Amino acid sequence: MEADLNSESTSEREIVVTRSIEGPQRLVFAAYTDSSHLSNWWGPEGFTTTTHSFEFRPGGVWDFTMHGPDGTDYPNWIEWLEISPPERIVLRHGSHSEDPEAFTSTVTITERGGVSEITLRSVFNTRSQRDMVVEKYHAIEGAEQTLGRLANHVSALLRPTTESGD
Amino acid sequence: MARAPTTADAFNAIAEPRRRHLLMLLKESELPVGELASSLGLPQPATSKHLRVLREVGLVYVRQAGKQRLYGLDARGLRPIHEWTGGFERFWSESLDRLNDYVQELRREEQSNGS
Repeated sequence: MEADLNSESTSEREIVVTRSIEGPQRLVFAAYTDSSHLSNWWGPEGFTTTTHSFEFRPGGVWDFTMHGPDGTDYPNWIEWLEISPPERIVLRHGSHSEDPEAFTSTVTITERGGVSEITLRSVFNTRSQRDMVVEKYHAIEGAEQTLGRLANHVSALLRPTTESGD
Repeated sequence: MARAPTTADAFNAIAEPRRRHLLMLLKESELPVGELASSLGLPQPATSKHLRVLREVGLVYVRQAGKQRLYGLDARGLRPIHEWTGGFERFWSESLDRLNDYVQELRREEQSNGS
């Protein structure tokens, strides 16, 4: 059993995202193995990447800049910690090599009947670090509109009756 | 980079299961502390304490209604939590949508290469 570095449980410090991919595991894995692949899909719609250096081996680094749709540049630094084709990649993701906010992500790819499932599990050092990184991503995303809509939706759900002008 | 302590506070506030339970109860309607305490099976002072934490982070409001003080859920306080679930997860979920598209491209290439 691994010892935790702090008292917060892992679930409080992690974010897990899962997605089905129509295609074999080896192709999903392949999409990670080269910057020419990664540049085709990394980041939300409207984002592009410029790779400064790329080496796909344990201890190797992908040094790149993300360009947001509004023209903002975001430095990114990924170190590959573990590469186990075709099912598992562990990486450290930050904005530069010594980034104290860097977090560890485990990519797991499984396949059943030609359909793959990819799971990204990102574990942060502390819960507050998670929140901080998340804030940054929120800023990157410029999801203000979506969130505004969401907040309105929640308000409508939660306060169906009160129309008080206090 | 500037920290936003209130963001962390809202997360801390809902980390406590009984406080989440309180929010679920208040989602339905405004309630006085006595009813909340009996629903939770907690003494009233302990319930008040949890409500105070929730008020401090803006998740709950209180208003005077005649002789009663009624507690209610303040949806605006949930915003940091929505921002969290929306921001990072959406970033990756959109990336993975694109990954799906790209894998389709790779498959077509493979097929046309006859491998």
